[in-house]
Amino acid sequence: MREGEADGFVVRFSFWARFQHAVIILLFGLLVLTGMPQKWPYVEASRWVIEHLGGIFVVRWLHRAAGIAFSALLVTHLAVAIGGVMTRRTQPAMLLSRKDFRDAIDNLRYYVGYIEVPPKFGRYDYRQKFEYWGLVFGALIMVLSGFILYFPIFVSRVLPAELIPAAKVMHSYEALLAFLIVLIWHMAGAHLTPESFPMDTSIFTGKIRKEKLRREHTLEYEDRFGGQ
Amino acid sequence: MTRRSVAASGGLALAAVLLVGLIGRGAAAQQPPESVAYCLTCHEDRDLSLKLKDGSSMSLYVDPREFVRSVHGTQLICTDCHARYDQNHPSGVTFPSKRAYVTGAYETCKKCHFDTYTRTLESVHYELLKGGLDAAPVCTDCHGAHNIQNPHAKRAMVSRSCATCHVAVYQKYSHSVHGKALVEEDNQDVPACASCHTHHQIQQPGTTRFRLNSPDICIRCHGDQRLMSKYGISTTVAQTYLSDFHGVTASLTRGAPEARQQVVVTCVDCHGAHDIASPKLKGKEAMKTAVAATCAKCHKGASPAFPAAWLSHYEPSLRHAPLVFLVDLAYRIFIPFVVIGLVLHLLLQVFRMSAGR
Repeated sequence: MREGEADGFVVRFSFWARFQHAVIILLFGLLVLTGMPQKWPYVEASRWVIEHLGGIFVVRWLHRAAGIAFSALLVTHLAVAIGGVMTRRTQPAMLLSRKDFRDAIDNLRYYVGYIEVPPKFGRYDYRQKFEYWGLVFGALIMVLSGFILYFPIFVSRVLPAELIPAAKVMHSYEALLAFLIVLIWHMAGAHLTPESFPMDTSIFTGKIRKEKLRREHTLEYEDRFGGQ
Repeated sequence: MTRRSVAASGGLALAAVLLVGLIGRGAAAQQPPESVAYCLTCHEDRDLSLKLKDGSSMSLYVDPREFVRSVHGTQLICTDCHARYDQNHPSGVTFPSKRAYVTGAYETCKKCHFDTYTRTLESVHYELLKGGLDAAPVCTDCHGAHNIQNPHAKRAMVSRSCATCHVAVYQKYSHSVHGKALVEEDNQDVPACASCHTHHQIQQPGTTRFRLNSPDICIRCHGDQRLMSKYGISTTVAQTYLSDFHGVTASLTRGAPEARQQVVVTCVDCHGAHDIASPKLKGKEAMKTAVAATCAKCHKGASPAFPAAWLSHYEPSLRHAPLVFLVDLAYRIFIPFVVIGLVLHLLLQVFRMSAGR
């Protein structure tokens, strides 16, 4: 924080947060690349991808390996987050509160012109929280349905076998939803809005320009540097 | 003999047959052309035969009526096929055995049917013949010699010729839902032997490649809406198999090298191949047993409940697989809802940015 402040930057993300983001990019990319051709195996583009990755067995193997790594990351993330909050080392800044719903409504009212001043946001605004919880619950669904598909024999011994085709439908649609949210919401928010164009680099460098923090996360700024 | 002279003599033969047919109608049915008639002066003798080196004798009798009724009867004359005998005949030449004569003489077919002949060279039957198995079939074994009929018009006939060697398989087939329809009703829609195994370029059916290709064979008919509606059979059987995990594996690896293929379940594993019975007649319970037995072949330790993971070609509905149906429905509503919401939110933001400043 100290060295950054000199040239107008302050620390926003820890190394652990940046590391997770980088790993997610890698794993999500790999899972989409190896999963989509399996969702639409008879599309020409899928056949091209499968062939160039070394055939359907390699693709399935890569998908499962990436899925296991992704599951491990999810478990670690949840353990660190819950552990951090329980030992009071970190603030539960991602938790949803009533203010987030109010912010969402106020922000939409601001967009359509009902009010002239947008709401002030804390460390994470409601759009970021929506994406975070979407990712967490989406990941839980993907991991659970993924393991049902990975071990169908075991699952059929303890649960109704109809879960297996249901898990396949779920895995397939949830993946599509996640992909669309990342494509539309994340890419637009992190790259295309005037505040961040061409790219918001804070999740990679860990730093944010002080002025940007003041504008986009006013309440956090006031908390850290006093109100203005 | 050149192509031109074949055509010329063919034309001559045709003219002769027409002429004879016109004049002699009623009295002496159809008569072979004149040059054929010349050969027949000897070969019409039922007792004419040749002593072979293995001690047996080969009949040299040709039934003139049978030849005229064959597809070649109006097109060819004797020497078109028996080219070596047009001079100095009989020469006194003999053969080691009847089979040696047949396997030596059949190549005469390639003079006209060259493309078909070359395809047989890539067949499992030719492999066997080359390997020294005399009994492996050549053209005349399936099509006949002097009595060749149009194989497209007489589908049952070709299948019966397979039965000469493949007795047990033919027995099974003729009792199957397809075989019965062909043998008993002369149904032209059902597959005969060659419909699945191809005609000339017949491949070894035991290979993984053949297995992985086999769904395509079934789907040729069972994916054809118009054909299947005649028999009240659903075409979803094709789609449901192809979209299943095993169907994808079969479709995506059938072109790959043998080492990168994997034995997966295909249509024949549950339905049978030559002994296919109608699942409707077989009954639900019998089909379930067949499916369970098939799953257990690869999935060791599968519980009796495991086959329920396969939806038996049903599209999910409230009656069949309600859980799958509801998950599907929920996402079909939820995904557009979320995506439209997000896009609207973005558009509003853009609207404010452009209008508000």
